[in-house]
Amino acid sequence: MRENQRVPESVRRALPGGLATSAALALLGFEIADKGWAFFFQITLNGVTLGAVYALIALGYTMIYGILKLLNFAHGDVYMVGAFIGYGVLSSLGGPLNPSVPVWLLIVLMFGAGMLGSGLLGVAIERFAYRPLRAAPRIAPLISALGVSFFLQNSALLLFGASYRSYDPFSLLGFGGAHFGSSVFISWIRIGVVIGAIALMLALIFLVGRTQIGKAMRAVSFDREAAAMMGIDVDRVIAATFFIGSALAGAAGVMFGLVFSQIFHFMGFLAGLKGFTAAVVGGIGSIPGAMLGGLIVGLVEQYAQGYLNGNWSDLFVFAILIVFMLVRPNGLLGTRAINKV
Amino acid sequence: MTDVPNNPDEPKVPAPPDSGDRPQVGVDEWVASVEGRRADRSLALRAYGRVPAPAQLIVVVAAVCALPFLLNSGDLFVYGLFTLLYALLGLGLNVVVGFAGLLDLGYVAFYGIGAYGYALLASPKYDLHWQAELAIPVVMVGTALIGLILGFTSRRLLGDYLAIVTLFFGQAFVVFVNNANPHNITGGANGIAPTDPLSIFGYKLTTTRQYYYFLVIAVLVVMAGLWSLLRSRTGRAWQALREDPLAAEMMGTPVNRLKIVAFAFGAGIAGLAGAIFAAVSTGIAPGAFDTSVLITIYAIVILGGTGSLVGVVLGAVVINVTYEALSPSTPSTGRWIFYLALVIAILARIRPWPKLAVVVGGTAAFGFAVHAIAGAVSSSATAGPVTEGGSLTGFIKHWVIIPEHPGSAAKYAYVGLVVAVVALTRLSGWSRAIALIPVLYLTAFVWENLMIEQPAVARLIIFGALLIAIMQVRPQGLLGTSRVEIV
Amino acid sequence: MLKRVSLIASVAAVAALAIVVSAVAGPASTASQAVTCGTTRTIGVAAPITGPAASLGSQQLGWAQFYVTTWNKSHKTKYKIVQGDTQLPNAAEAIKVAQRFGSNSKILVVVGPAGSQEIQDTTAAFKNAGLAFISGSATRTSLTDGSRKGFFFRVVPNDDQQAPAVANYITANLKSDHVFIIDDQEAYSQGLADGVQKLLDAKNVKTTRDSVSQSASDFSSLIAKIPSSTKVIYIPWQLSAKAQLFGQQLKGAGKNIPLFGSDGLFDPDNFTIAGSYDSFFPVNVTSATIKAYASAHGGKPDYFGVPSFVAAQVAVNAVEKACKTGKGKATRATVRKAVASTKLTATLLGIPVSFTANGDVSGGGFSIYKIGSDGAYSKVG
Repeated sequence: MRENQRVPESVRRALPGGLATSAALALLGFEIADKGWAFFFQITLNGVTLGAVYALIALGYTMIYGILKLLNFAHGDVYMVGAFIGYGVLSSLGGPLNPSVPVWLLIVLMFGAGMLGSGLLGVAIERFAYRPLRAAPRIAPLISALGVSFFLQNSALLLFGASYRSYDPFSLLGFGGAHFGSSVFISWIRIGVVIGAIALMLALIFLVGRTQIGKAMRAVSFDREAAAMMGIDVDRVIAATFFIGSALAGAAGVMFGLVFSQIFHFMGFLAGLKGFTAAVVGGIGSIPGAMLGGLIVGLVEQYAQGYLNGNWSDLFVFAILIVFMLVRPNGLLGTRAINKV
Repeated sequence: MTDVPNNPDEPKVPAPPDSGDRPQVGVDEWVASVEGRRADRSLALRAYGRVPAPAQLIVVVAAVCALPFLLNSGDLFVYGLFTLLYALLGLGLNVVVGFAGLLDLGYVAFYGIGAYGYALLASPKYDLHWQAELAIPVVMVGTALIGLILGFTSRRLLGDYLAIVTLFFGQAFVVFVNNANPHNITGGANGIAPTDPLSIFGYKLTTTRQYYYFLVIAVLVVMAGLWSLLRSRTGRAWQALREDPLAAEMMGTPVNRLKIVAFAFGAGIAGLAGAIFAAVSTGIAPGAFDTSVLITIYAIVILGGTGSLVGVVLGAVVINVTYEALSPSTPSTGRWIFYLALVIAILARIRPWPKLAVVVGGTAAFGFAVHAIAGAVSSSATAGPVTEGGSLTGFIKHWVIIPEHPGSAAKYAYVGLVVAVVALTRLSGWSRAIALIPVLYLTAFVWENLMIEQPAVARLIIFGALLIAIMQVRPQGLLGTSRVEIV
Repeated sequence: MLKRVSLIASVAAVAALAIVVSAVAGPASTASQAVTCGTTRTIGVAAPITGPAASLGSQQLGWAQFYVTTWNKSHKTKYKIVQGDTQLPNAAEAIKVAQRFGSNSKILVVVGPAGSQEIQDTTAAFKNAGLAFISGSATRTSLTDGSRKGFFFRVVPNDDQQAPAVANYITANLKSDHVFIIDDQEAYSQGLADGVQKLLDAKNVKTTRDSVSQSASDFSSLIAKIPSSTKVIYIPWQLSAKAQLFGQQLKGAGKNIPLFGSDGLFDPDNFTIAGSYDSFFPVNVTSATIKAYASAHGGKPDYFGVPSFVAAQVAVNAVEKACKTGKGKATRATVRKAVASTKLTATLLGIPVSFTANGDVSGGGFSIYKIGSDGAYSKVG
């Protein structure tokens, strides 16, 4: 083959991704032509709300993975505990129909308690279930995490019973929202949740990028032994990472309760799965990746539900994600794994 | 220190503070002290070790075969049959995870494909009634082919990315058979029922005993096959791939091909297990192939020690027997296991003997004292009945406070117990031993007042706690080897 | 080599043993054993106590236990419940529970299991063991096609009775011409939705069919799909909390379309969307029993488990009858006959309970309720 006929390397690399993306966009375009822009806009807004919640969970997964190379399968249940703590605060302060403190204060307290409780739980889990296994083969903490997950799920079942608990946000915060045109509507609660999630993410970026502890976290995730040799207290940094990641999950739990109202003991399983998906899709170990991944997963899910029949939508979501992973094996923003020799 | 000759003038190197019994890197003592450790093993194990290998095998197989005569049909079903089924699944997963080192989180989908494959070939649904000797190989090969395809598409994925793609595949399978269900092939949420019993050359397997023996044979055959596979060239190449993928690739082992073959083998074995499951359970539904089964299989493989064939079977025995013994249908057995586990944990972890005696005696005395005081203060505080006490009722009635109307005190006690256990890890030495006494009593209180009322939930809580505990005690699994990590 | 030979030898030995053993009679079948009816008698209750359907199973178990404790307080003979956790939708656990119950010679009759697919998969085990099993929630019509005659009973009317009641009301009273049907991808829901859709299509009512996962909480895209010209949304779901959430999100999106639920959604505490309809048995919600249950369970009653209460009633009464006619001894066969000849004139379900030859409850009917603006349920049809 002559020189000028060879396909350049960069084009060849980008080909599968480009093809897949164009196919997806074409599909989307066809659906928009079929059902209209207003519908598309509506489900995009729904997807963004859902994506914000997934992104918060994914952040916890990605931070813990970055620092310990551990997939923390108990993370979804920490999210569930955060939701229940928020519910506990809500019901002890009068419940959604008759709150004894002003609503804004109630929300702040719910978030505070949920984040603090989840953070402490995360630190305890790390101390108990993962720290003794730091020298063990990588697969042992996996089982430990599953054990913690069983324990948390069923403790919630034991203590709270099996029935769904409701935050009843419509009684607490009303039905109001913003209208765009005649058919697109987003409630204030959802807008608040998205803004809150973005605020938390910005706070996280600031923390990791500008503060001392953030620098220590980045150092430990890059090379644990070198960081220890530089005088960083690795145990403390890992505990701090777990605290922050779990606190974010707790916040996600309270947000879920406020937007979607129903919480029960098994909710952590599904949400953990979606959060884990979001983290990997965005490139596990990368914080902006987790945010992007959460958004993508939320959007894909809503598009599938909106445009397809419910029987096929879940399958379609999985198919899209499998194709995505095959096309971009390292996730969206993940770094190419360089094997050290 | 063993008799490794060393220069007496050299300064002694102090052992690292957290060493425990971890292998010391670069130190010969671990290797040199092997003989000593072998001598320490108990008499029974040593006697067993001296019996030649074939006789060992026959002894074990004979014991396994005698089981149906000791258990009634229902117990044989849950303790014997399902243990063997899980052992089969564990053996298959062991090929993927233990031999080749690939994290396959969608393994349970192959189990489901095998089950649905058999159900479609041998049930009234399409009026096909294939004989087992035809249906099972077809199902196995079909599942292996699908495993091949999955391995092929994900051959370039590494580690956790492979995990997630396989996880998607597993979830997609359940969603497909439950919802998508084109032309009602899979029966939707209702599944396919009834399925034909296994019919081998005309001989129908109908009773639990017959299926049990069939599974014993299947497990033995699969173990033999895997054992020779492990010693073949492919097996050795898998081990190289597991230990260091990059080095294996540089040595010329065809890494991608090996991954695909591992997937195929694992899938084929899962297909076999699925077909047998479909026949045994006379009907299948999508929910039996969901993530909870995947978690159980993973627990079995990791607990037994990845890479060890006998270990996986042992892991299946431990996990399934424990899980079924804690069943809410037999709460008194569960109580025995709970208390026994506590006692064993205390006996095993508290040394030296004076401390152990103080803890045990102190807990008993503390309990009786508190119970007497509570009874004196208010008679209703100790008037509650002991649920499912069995033979321990008398002791429990006088030792644990069981109020007539516990209310939510037991729930607060539960939360307090979890906090107390976490706090206990911050203490050490004698203060921990003394603090252990009220914590142990609190555990008994929570059990008698809260957990025994909901035995189904208590089972899963104990199961989770056991998983955590076993990983702490033996992270390499029962029969795995503690590998020396090269820094 | 030696190992391979010994392996082949052991495999052959096992094969021979298996053939020999299966030729010899197995252990005495518990199916025909006679049990002495002492003061304490045992029934089994199989329900999904843990897992994704725990909210349903715990209600069923709770109501069955409530019946037994109420009975024990006022009768000399005492009853004990052996629990079985079936972990719906994991049918393998249900089969294990069935096998265990079968081998437990003390158990004379079983209440449950809950799901239609569980009934299908456990039939062989129960039939082999000779146990009667009375379900309070398996409504798939084909379960009583005669293949389980004498063994399977259900105290709730099946889909073939509920679907026509719903379809008739929709066409006659609501006069809707476009009905949106959403099932929750579970066996119960799919069956009912199929039935109603078929009937409505036959009456030339336009139907759109969709589905959503039972575990989903975000219905916003589904709601966006529903055209405003829809007159009724039929949701035959099992979880009243989800239906309430759906209704609220629907209202929040500005679409005021009445919902129509099925018997699983009857819950005056959780499902209170004003203007909605629900089909349920004619239960008297002010009855003393329900109030007593509520006060024993934190003040709030639940209704999904009421059929299990009635099933336990059938079970206990059957054992009593069998023990009396057997003069202190009962076998599972006599208990089965006693169940088949049950005649309860008044039950908590509001319908009299007696069984057809195939196990369906004869004379069962559904009532349609409407939810008022204050959340109260009132019978309208």
